[in-house]
Amino acid sequence: MGTEHFDFKATFNDLDDGLEVLHRSVDRLRRATGRDADDRSLLLFETALGEIGTNVLTHGSRVRSARPVEYSLRLAGDQVVASLTDSGPPVDEQLAREMPGRDTEDGRGLAIARSLLDELGYERDGDLNRWRLVKRL
Amino acid sequence: MTLDVDTRKADNGVSVVAPTGRLDVTGAPALKDAIGELIRGGQERVVIDMEGVSFVDSMGLGSVIAALKQIRNRQGELRLAAPNQQVRVVLELTTLDRVFPYYATVEEALTGL
Repeated sequence: MGTEHFDFKATFNDLDDGLEVLHRSVDRLRRATGRDADDRSLLLFETALGEIGTNVLTHGSRVRSARPVEYSLRLAGDQVVASLTDSGPPVDEQLAREMPGRDTEDGRGLAIARSLLDELGYERDGDLNRWRLVKRL
Repeated sequence: MTLDVDTRKADNGVSVVAPTGRLDVTGAPALKDAIGELIRGGQERVVIDMEGVSFVDSMGLGSVIAALKQIRNRQGELRLAAPNQQVRVVLELTTLDRVFPYYATVEEALTGL
């Protein structure tokens, strides 16, 4: 499984379009690697990607001068690696949050993503947030 | 992608809400609206048929938690039926499987409700 080549790149601004692109990219990866719709590793990865993507597209787009989100998805050996770059405000405080209690309606997104990935990288680079999501397949 | 939500009434009078699509940040409001309408109409026994839900995120889950709280406040009951693997994984990860009894089929969920 480690020898396939897969490299997907896109930019987007809008929440609906952005999420559609993210899910479509994982579908393409699924097909490219011959995995079925129930492949657990990719399902977990897609779940984490949806959470980070939603965070980026909802918080980042509040900034009036927001530039498009840059997204890439690739295979690196037996790992799938996604990168997202956005011009939203820093998110260090949200990243530190634990999983909230069961009757809480929101605030789970980043905690879910963190627990599903092998690596969730985040760095503030000038005015940009740079995310890196890694999952072994 | 928008979430389509159909609502029907089962033979035993329980309301069955069937969303189709992604129950995520963009789809969650449609489910909230559909369940809010049922509650306003006095329906307190509800099954959400998840068979048509391809993917759930934390916001989608939040809409189900909101529905559960509203229904339990009225001494009603909410059950989830036929969640796919991704939905089950998210429920288990967040330990919400302990507050949502989920059933393999709508028929099972309707039994005894």
